[in-house]
Amino acid sequence: MTLSLSDPTWYPIASSEDLPFRHVYQGQLLGRELAVWRADDGNVNVWENRCLHRGVRLSIGINEGGELKCQYHGWRYANRSAGCTYIPAHPADAPARRIENRTYPVREAYGLIWSAANDDQPFRPFAGAEGYDWFPLRPMPVNAAPEDVLAAIARLAPDDQPADILPGLAIRFGGTYYFVQPVDASRAVIRGLLSTQPDLATLRSNNETLSKLRDRLERLAARKPAPTPLQPAFDKVSADLATMPDIAIPRGNTITVVVKRKWTSADGVIGFELAARDGHLPTFQPGAHIDVHLPNGMTRQYSLTNGPGELMSYIIGVKQESASKGGSKVLVETVREGDLLSISEPRNNFPLRRDAVRSVLIAGGIGITPLLSMARFLDKSSLPYELHYFTRAGEQVAFRGDLEALHGKVILHTGLPRAQIGTTIATTLGQWSFAQHVYVCGPAAMLETVRDTAAAQGWPEESIHYEYFKNDKVIDDSSAFDVELARSAMTLHIPSGKTILEVMREAGLTVPSSCEQGACGTCLTRVMEGEVDHQDVYLNKSEKVSNSCMMTCVSRAKSARLVLDI
Amino acid sequence: MITLYDFELSGNCYKLRLLMSILKLRCDIIPVDFYPGRQHKADWFLRLNPFGQLPVLKDDELILSDSGAILAYLAKTYDETGLWFPDDPAVTSEVLRWHAVADDITSTASAARLALGFFYDFDIEKAQKGAHRIFRLMDEHLWFGEKMGRDWLCSPAHPTTADIACFPYVMLSEEGGIGRQDYPALRRWTDRVRRIPGFVVMSGIFPAGRALEQA
Ligand code: FES
Repeated sequence: MTLSLSDPTWYPIASSEDLPFRHVYQGQLLGRELAVWRADDGNVNVWENRCLHRGVRLSIGINEGGELKCQYHGWRYANRSAGCTYIPAHPADAPARRIENRTYPVREAYGLIWSAANDDQPFRPFAGAEGYDWFPLRPMPVNAAPEDVLAAIARLAPDDQPADILPGLAIRFGGTYYFVQPVDASRAVIRGLLSTQPDLATLRSNNETLSKLRDRLERLAARKPAPTPLQPAFDKVSADLATMPDIAIPRGNTITVVVKRKWTSADGVIGFELAARDGHLPTFQPGAHIDVHLPNGMTRQYSLTNGPGELMSYIIGVKQESASKGGSKVLVETVREGDLLSISEPRNNFPLRRDAVRSVLIAGGIGITPLLSMARFLDKSSLPYELHYFTRAGEQVAFRGDLEALHGKVILHTGLPRAQIGTTIATTLGQWSFAQHVYVCGPAAMLETVRDTAAAQGWPEESIHYEYFKNDKVIDDSSAFDVELARSAMTLHIPSGKTILEVMREAGLTVPSSCEQGACGTCLTRVMEGEVDHQDVYLNKSEKVSNSCMMTCVSRAKSARLVLDI
Repeated sequence: MITLYDFELSGNCYKLRLLMSILKLRCDIIPVDFYPGRQHKADWFLRLNPFGQLPVLKDDELILSDSGAILAYLAKTYDETGLWFPDDPAVTSEVLRWHAVADDITSTASAARLALGFFYDFDIEKAQKGAHRIFRLMDEHLWFGEKMGRDWLCSPAHPTTADIACFPYVMLSEEGGIGRQDYPALRRWTDRVRRIPGFVVMSGIFPAGRALEQA
């Protein structure tokens, strides 16, 4: 028998107990090196043992419970998807989910972790697997060809009870199974399984038998010419999975999710758990949001509250506004558990820096949602942070249980009069010093307060991060002007009362947008010439002044003509 | 006042920095240019330690050499808990047994590293084979230890200087071309050592992730 790189057979690659929490196990199957780790939710990940950045082994990385962090350059990959969630040097701090490490199929069963070189075959239990409380013996690595190892184990069987050779390099005699894990052409691991719980003496004697077998096999192997090792080409992850995303990703892809749970998280806040229909949901970064397509045809953005690597379902919080028109009202009133919803892939306009010496998170009301996700990331990574959460009354504190589970400084400010909110924010922020960052999400008035106070206390613009979901400003659309679309070689006239976005669509262009009120950043476009009349809340002051980009959904021109990079 | 004659990239020197950090001891470091300067063979150094080996530790007037001996000295003198080098004769001999293993690891794994990284004239293959033989034994010892509820090399329910003595050159073995893939129990033990409060890193030895808190 010759080993093949594409052999689809499932082999055991580790014992369950080889994977304690927060450990990264180094494995190998058919020449391919594997990084194997158990996340805090119990899920076992089997990945190619290379960081996509420089090929450094991930088995020396740090298992943070929801993400695996490369020891050398800090790239991080999420539990389940292996999607990259963080690239330290990347300007946006937030890679797209397209950057994914290679994963292998995995199954934990009978005290062993099983994997295969590819997905061609479903996992099948070995004959007689069910009904026992299996105990894995101490794995015995052997420097000898897997088929020689198998043959030698067969000879261990007593004469009156010949060994049963099973498919997949397995053997059974008596109540014991032996699986040979083909590590490489000249290396194997013997993984024994006992059908009963042994005592220490049994374990010792098994270990002794296998050690002697190993020594014999290795002596024999040393006398034979060594077989050529398998040569796994480090098949590059497909360009599609490994390329750096553009800053603005046109969307269109939607995912169908099930409303798994709907509950009242606080007075006026409804929690929704949106689960994947099968498998997991895409990787996201702390601060990311999804667009939820509502039954009435509207689209609304909601931040994910999830912690790192939690990809089985997304949890969002929705404000129950009695006066609200459409949007959230539909979600709160008509969507029930078990319903299907269509959502976008997560996108992040509110990236979290992980190189700060102090991160201050400030939430007002429902603004807690993105900050809860950030706090969970910082918490898991043991980075210092403080979370200040302002609500009008104690009953309005949403996700209370989740907040209590955090180890950082979580401070609830309830029922403060407006003036006191300002002074609290001022003392909380303090004077800026290097590598301090503040993140704020909440009502517009609160955002303004934080921005103004921070600026007054010496915080530079780059250290103040905020996210608007709504643009409360009244948009002045009375101007009329021309736009020249440089790439499309088209000139369009924008009359008063119509947005650039609308006119472009009428002209047959497909252009991405989401909130259409200048809050989400989806329609961000580069400006090549002309003076922009910004009316959005997405860009910060210096971005606006630079006159180099704008939102086509609300911005207009102060000059007679704009040239856009579309 | 404690003074350590130290070479940053030496695992044997690191053992002492590690224990002193765990015991919160302050010390003065005097760098000795082991490579490429070979200052450990210079006259002034040979007067300190005629064996011509790092590390050397001075505690006031007392001059000590050999990392294992110094570990024992530091623990007996400065560890008020008495845990790092326990007084119980049976445990003491167990600890000393593993100090001897640490020396075997030095003469194999560390020799391979010196040959590959510092161009020493050693038999690399022999050194690597020797290291694998010790790692196999350690992996077995630690695997059975886990089955019996023991996390460390010696029988007490806490680490001792034995764990510190054996740790660095296990961690640095890859620099000598000795993989640890075949020793999962040994790899888990290195995680535990790296989680000891007061743990410090050296070049090539990095921290482990935080352990999961048991609720
Ligand atoms: S579509 Fe949201 S900012 Fe333009």
